[in-house]
Amino acid sequence: MKPADLQKMSLLAKLAFCAWALAGLIAQASAWGFSYGDQTGNNQACLSCHGKTGDVPKGSFIDPQRFTQTAHANLGCEACHATVPANHPDGAKVPKADCRECHSGISEEYAKGLHAAKTACNGCHNPHLVQNPKDVSGQEINMICSNCHNSLEMTAKHGEWLPQSELHLRMLPCITCHTGAKDYYISMYIVKSKGDSRFGKQEVAEYADLKAIAGSRPIVSLIDTNRDNYVSLEELRVFNRTQKALHLYGMMTPSTVSHKFEILDSRRNCSFCHTSGSGLMQTSFIAVPEADGTFLRVPVEKGAVLDALYAAPDFYMMGSTKNAKLNQIGLAIICCGLIMPVGHGFVRFLTRKNRKQKEHQS
Amino acid sequence: MSEKTRIYLQPWPIRIWHWINASGIIILILSGAQIRFPETLSIFTSYKSAIEVHNTAGIIVSISFSFWFFYYKMVKNTLDKLYIPDEEDIKHGLVRQLLYYCFWYFLGRPSPYHATPDHKFNPMQKSAYLAVMFVLMPLVGLTGILLLNVTPLRVLVLMWGGIKFIVALHFLLACSLLAFLCTHVYLATLGDYIKPMLIGWEEVEEHEEAEVPPEVAIPGYRPVRHYPEYEQALLEQRHS
Repeated sequence: MKPADLQKMSLLAKLAFCAWALAGLIAQASAWGFSYGDQTGNNQACLSCHGKTGDVPKGSFIDPQRFTQTAHANLGCEACHATVPANHPDGAKVPKADCRECHSGISEEYAKGLHAAKTACNGCHNPHLVQNPKDVSGQEINMICSNCHNSLEMTAKHGEWLPQSELHLRMLPCITCHTGAKDYYISMYIVKSKGDSRFGKQEVAEYADLKAIAGSRPIVSLIDTNRDNYVSLEELRVFNRTQKALHLYGMMTPSTVSHKFEILDSRRNCSFCHTSGSGLMQTSFIAVPEADGTFLRVPVEKGAVLDALYAAPDFYMMGSTKNAKLNQIGLAIICCGLIMPVGHGFVRFLTRKNRKQKEHQS
Repeated sequence: MSEKTRIYLQPWPIRIWHWINASGIIILILSGAQIRFPETLSIFTSYKSAIEVHNTAGIIVSISFSFWFFYYKMVKNTLDKLYIPDEEDIKHGLVRQLLYYCFWYFLGRPSPYHATPDHKFNPMQKSAYLAVMFVLMPLVGLTGILLLNVTPLRVLVLMWGGIKFIVALHFLLACSLLAFLCTHVYLATLGDYIKPMLIGWEEVEEHEEAEVPPEVAIPGYRPVRHYPEYEQALLEQRHS
């Protein structure tokens, strides 16, 4: 279209043209997989080499699919690696990113913790893979820790003071106890037995496994049956009753992840978690795996959510998931045991004279 | 007229076992209550202390139980005789003992049964102890051992119906033991049961023929002297 043609157009036609052009740009951006930031266009140029294992050294390979899911992909490669030499890859190396440019607050917080002297950001986070804590399971978070902290050693060390240490380390993200947070939530996720065996180890159910069960329906409809993007306690119970091969596990997770790693004495107090109706147990989400490897978070009705997990045969949290009906049955049994002392004892007291007379006679 | 005879009813290994068992079970009940209701109970200060006390007491009671079984079954070889009710116990003894507790005791009549070293328990005691020592205690111990080793014994836990079922069973069995404990302690006050369990000896009154109960007996009543074992035990005591 020539400028002269534009001048001839009416105002309405100009507006329509602008809207068409904007829609085209948005459509193109969506096709690239980016929601914002136009600098990301350069990612394709970088990934054309760095996204292929054979073209670059192993340490420089970036998995394009996983990188696209990170928040960093939206910024574009040059946002962190600003000064790529013109003669790259033959000339000088690309400068390393400085995380502090964007994450200065976290960096300051991290510097106060126990890890600061041991490793830098990339010791735990690969910036080309890193995801929001909400998009990863607790087990995945712990896998980061186990790169340095040997699982067996940690189990033995925690076992010096923590009962059932292996169970605790398996069921909790390390950051729940080793970072301070004001609020916590219960992150629920779907598990299935390894190899579909009844006695198989429980592991996080993959998207493909759940899709096979859900069929043509979205996976989330397995739990959120009325699809209102909100899971009620009743829906949880129905899921537990009906899905025999799948179970829900709950994991207490900090709502705001701190980077000041420390040993918190308050976590040695077991009732921090093992208390029924604790405020920490009220807010919950269910993480449902998505096709692109992320998780869809669906909020769950507030309340004693762990109680609703009662049907899971492999999940029980002492002091927190006790069943009220069992308590009533237990009380009834104890009351039966009191019938003899109370009832018999009362008549015994009333008839004490009979026995005294007999003793006197003999 | 009557005179008192001493019978050595409870040998020292059984007395030690009994009191270890008794104190262990009381500690288990208290610590177990705190573990289940941490928001209302803090008997052993912290939750962790309650768990440690519960685990330790559980192991001690389990060992003590094994010792009891070994002693009666292997050393004395009287386990079956003492704890399994015989035909007479089932046909008449249970009803007789029940009638005694519900009626005769209030009228001031003596117990229709008297303990001897080989027949320590009356028919009701036998039935109750059979249930407690052969069903309740082994089950509560086994479920406790599974709960103590949830991870290493995971397959066994699932074979038993999962951790929730085991927790529920352990809790209900513990409630049943507490119910039994209340009845057991109360019934021990009805006769001279506590003293023999402390010192081993029991003093029994030896009745002469003139002292037999009235001829018009209450239906089902069967006085002590008609028990042949008791007669024999008294004879042995006299000769020794």
